[in-house]
Amino acid sequence: MRKWLSAGMAVIECFVGITLLGASATALAHGERAQEPYLRTRTTHWYDVTWSTDKVAVNEAITVTAKFRLFGDWPQAVDLPETVFVSNATPGPVFIRVESFLNGVPARQSFRDLEIGRDYEYKMVMKGRIPGRYHVHPMIAIKGSGPLVGPGKWVEITGSAADFSFPVTAISGEKIDNLETWGVADAIQWHIIWAVIAVLWVLWWIRRPLLIPRYLVLKKDREDLLTTNTDLIMGIVLLAVCMVLAFWSYFHVNAKYPRTVPLQAGMMYTPPLPLQQSPVNVRVTQAQYDVPGRSMRVAMDITNTSDKTLRIGEFATASIRFVNNNLPAALANIHPDFPRDLLARNGLQLSDDAPLAPGETRQIRFDATDAAWEIERLTSFLTDVDSKFGGLLFLFDQSGGRHIAEIGGPIIPVFRANQLALAQ
Amino acid sequence: MSPNTREVLAVSGLSPEAAKLSRIWEWFVVAAVALLFMGAIHLHVMLSVGDWDMFVDWKDRQFWVLVTPVSMIMIPAALQGVFWHYFRLPIGATLGALLLIIAVWISRLVGWHLWGYFPFSMSIPATMLAGAMALDAILLIVRNPLLTATFGGFVFALLFYPSNWASLAPYFLAVEHQGMVASVADLIGYTFPRAGTPEYIRVIERGTLRTFEGTSVWVSTAFAGFLCIFMHMIWWRIGMAFSTQRFVPNGKRMRQMMGLN
Repeated sequence: MRKWLSAGMAVIECFVGITLLGASATALAHGERAQEPYLRTRTTHWYDVTWSTDKVAVNEAITVTAKFRLFGDWPQAVDLPETVFVSNATPGPVFIRVESFLNGVPARQSFRDLEIGRDYEYKMVMKGRIPGRYHVHPMIAIKGSGPLVGPGKWVEITGSAADFSFPVTAISGEKIDNLETWGVADAIQWHIIWAVIAVLWVLWWIRRPLLIPRYLVLKKDREDLLTTNTDLIMGIVLLAVCMVLAFWSYFHVNAKYPRTVPLQAGMMYTPPLPLQQSPVNVRVTQAQYDVPGRSMRVAMDITNTSDKTLRIGEFATASIRFVNNNLPAALANIHPDFPRDLLARNGLQLSDDAPLAPGETRQIRFDATDAAWEIERLTSFLTDVDSKFGGLLFLFDQSGGRHIAEIGGPIIPVFRANQLALAQ
Repeated sequence: MSPNTREVLAVSGLSPEAAKLSRIWEWFVVAAVALLFMGAIHLHVMLSVGDWDMFVDWKDRQFWVLVTPVSMIMIPAALQGVFWHYFRLPIGATLGALLLIIAVWISRLVGWHLWGYFPFSMSIPATMLAGAMALDAILLIVRNPLLTATFGGFVFALLFYPSNWASLAPYFLAVEHQGMVASVADLIGYTFPRAGTPEYIRVIERGTLRTFEGTSVWVSTAFAGFLCIFMHMIWWRIGMAFSTQRFVPNGKRMRQMMGLN
């Protein structure tokens, strides 16, 4: 009986183990899908994102450029971008950063006081370090809120990690062959020196009867046997060695490297890009998210406040782009290397695609339908405490010029077939 | 066997066979204690000192110098109390620091370097070995917990920065990056991205604490030394409390229930 029980338990344990192993897929990308929809649709809107290549060798460079808009209807739950760090979203240091810029200003340090409703230009130059295939996103991190990630593209690093090197020369002339290994041998050497002394000290004591004999002797008030004069002398020597070695090493290394600087903690500032006046006023009158249909439907009153005739070319939110496939200028706005999985196949369906004349107001409804809503886990609009959406509308004038407007408002989930039908 | 050892065994009253068995048993205890406290002290330091010990670009002149000794003296002080009170062994602090540095290097190698691809240059840990050994030596010399806390605690913090500067000075050379000054440590932290660790999250010296020679190191060291005195006193007592066995007397009913009547 016992034998059968043991066998049964073993089978169950194997099953559980295999299930757990199978369920734990390697996490290499798409961590941004864990973020709340309001965070992804109403904070940073990334556009004009380009990757210079999708394949680099170890030590070769890749440049990611982008612009981002800090959405005007910033969520209350997200801290304002008063302290921001320009970063990249990759699985750890598989790429290294070479240089980065925000509006052309070097971005090694964090930035202060970015402005809501304004645009910034992002640039990051990286080099390949660990071979493999990785998802590479532009990213900024906001203090108090965390990372805000842009669209990602798969980039392959070829070659051998052993070939990687990053040489640097210090201002005082010291040549650093490779930032990966600089100073490591010295640090390990000093740790070994201290550890050897420590081990010798411990061995000095544990070579003798250790626990029970010493405890019994102490109980019998004969602690004079437990620490001898020799031990005392060794203790004094140890104290002297520690003091002398610590301070000698300090002065010795100061003589070797007389010119050092502290960690740099300053913050940078850049004004935003020149203000792009929105060419339209948009008032969302109704917005629905059709859960089973994976569709966002928005009705809006849109007024052309510019002096140009405009057509709606694209609606972009949370790195998904819904492009009006009937507008050549909008199609031309898609970089040929932009990841196709972030371009909605159905594009942007408009109830009225006719050009909007200057001064004209029209009610337009658009339909943004794609499985990407579910793949990107944006359907959890339903579980947000702040059920509002946001995005950018890209409009194009007759000469192909692009204009950007923000759109957003409350959104209601619907669970039945089309309740906000497009006008025929 | 030295004369002192023979006398210790004689006074202890253990027979030669018992002494031999005791010795074998001690090695099991040493192994178990080493593993147990390696885990405990490593966990404690990771949770309290955390990023200051983890990354080279967190090792500033103010917070790192202050937080690390104050946190790292805790478990060594407790071990010192236990080893000295029951066995008159002045090895508690040294053992704590030694186990910590072994555990830390294992985690740097396996977790950070092999698994996470971070270079060693980014995660050079600090060591408390110098201060810990000095603390044990002072205990042996003064044979008094209060004096050990007062002098040893202060020396523990005092030796922290100079003993680690030898390992870390190369990381504070100045380099030019994108037209700005950076230390090599800053550059390493920037070059090898940690996606969840933006630059602003560093709790480092950002102010103008100008003092002797334009550095705040020795002010932070002195303050750390002051705090270490009290930390040592508190944690020595915690070590005593956790190593003291107390018996709750059984009442009549309990004895009846246990069949001890």
